[in-house]
Amino acid sequence: MKTLETIAVGFDDSPDSRAAVRWAFSLASRVEANVVIVHAVGLMDRFEGRDDAPAIEESLHRLCDDCDFERERVRVHISNGDACSVLLRAVDDPIAADLLVVGSRGQGKHPGLLLGSTSLELAEHASVPVVIVPTL
Amino acid sequence: MMLIANAPYDDAGHEESGHPERPDRMSAARGALDDLHLAEDLREVGPYLASRSELMRVHAGTYLDELGAFCYAGGGDIDVDTYATYDSWLIAQNAAGAGLAVIGELERLQDGVGFVATRPPGHHALRDRGMGFCLLNNIAIAAASLTAKGERVLIVDWDVHHGNGTQSIFWDNPDVLYVSTHQSPLFPGSGAPYEIGGMKALGRTINIPLPAGATGDVLRRGLAEIATPVIDDFAPTWVLVSAGFDSHRDDPMADLALTSGDFALLGRSVAQFAPRRGRLAFFLEGGYNLGALRTSVAATLASALDESIEFERPSSGGPGMTTIDSTLEERSVALRIAHEAAAKGDYS
Ligand SMILES: [Zn+2]
Repeated sequence: MKTLETIAVGFDDSPDSRAAVRWAFSLASRVEANVVIVHAVGLMDRFEGRDDAPAIEESLHRLCDDCDFERERVRVHISNGDACSVLLRAVDDPIAADLLVVGSRGQGKHPGLLLGSTSLELAEHASVPVVIVPTL
Repeated sequence: MMLIANAPYDDAGHEESGHPERPDRMSAARGALDDLHLAEDLREVGPYLASRSELMRVHAGTYLDELGAFCYAGGGDIDVDTYATYDSWLIAQNAAGAGLAVIGELERLQDGVGFVATRPPGHHALRDRGMGFCLLNNIAIAAASLTAKGERVLIVDWDVHHGNGTQSIFWDNPDVLYVSTHQSPLFPGSGAPYEIGGMKALGRTINIPLPAGATGDVLRRGLAEIATPVIDDFAPTWVLVSAGFDSHRDDPMADLALTSGDFALLGRSVAQFAPRRGRLAFFLEGGYNLGALRTSVAATLASALDESIEFERPSSGGPGMTTIDSTLEERSVALRIAHEAAAKGDYS
């Protein structure tokens, strides 16, 4: 089996996605992998003129501190698109993720709703393993 | 020439507070028809709701079931951009059916130009998922109804966003040639020059990304040098246009610099791709500045119909000419590699 070098985590700063990042950090610590935080920029971000980058950086710093994870081993990748496609593209160069990690629900998602579920879509289309982290 | 448009349909129920994809957009598009003063040269058809079998040429049955059930349960947000309400299922079926009705009338008359003014838009909708404000892929459903009858369909998509849904639906279909001009980088992030189609349809996808600020002259050069030779070779029997007007310089969603004059020139260009009268239809996609939307729709339709109206001067002088050069290069490299791989049997 190929060694696990890069773990990509979908991140929108929701509680679910923070749980996914924590899980990815704990795995990365054990297997000495790097982590790429993947954040999608949608149509509404653009329409409302939102720049999520500073908030994501700040939230990430806090997560690194909480989990005692080296900040140098985390990169942030902000990319245009819907959450699912942006994560699927993280498998390709330049990120070349070996594993995708997502929370069980994204921001504002209805519990139990199949429609638009990033985690289920990913599981269906990804060419690398996908981990769906439940929120406890 | 006669304009065949879909009859108005009450789409007020597909709305979310503060969302730019809103019912006023339809009033602006309909206002453009008033500005053209077509009188008896405007014929309206429908309304018509697309049937399940018509939708299933493009969409997965499971997705249609989920979407219908989600709407009837009261709707909500499908993703961070895309919403549906209780009424959205019927409104989306009408948006898809409108294209079928307009095409049916063009076929019957063997004349005229079609205009499908509906919402929600469609070109981001995938086979099994709505996204990017889109629920059903209206233009793909129309194109699939034509290819089912043996037609060869050219889809030109000049919305400022790449039509990822349409591209993916016809990725491996040699009977559809998909040509997109779009701003890049921008949502949805796809539409690179090396995206050229699947093994059965190599070269049948053409992407012409443009940098922010690009003007009409750059877009026209891209179409002329990258797309036109392929279109001539493809010899379409129908031309459908994903006419999105968020590529206008006043649109709040993006940064291309097109004017209504550029859309007039585009309207004429795509009319020339059609093999004869009655084989051209425009489908409304994006366009979120109501004034720009109205003047741009009017300019597009007027020039396709050979009517004269006033519009802004076509734009020129913006960045992007070197992008066209690199797109030509990247596309030809991708085609060469794909053909070599196909010859060895390992391209998918
Ligand atoms: Zn658009």
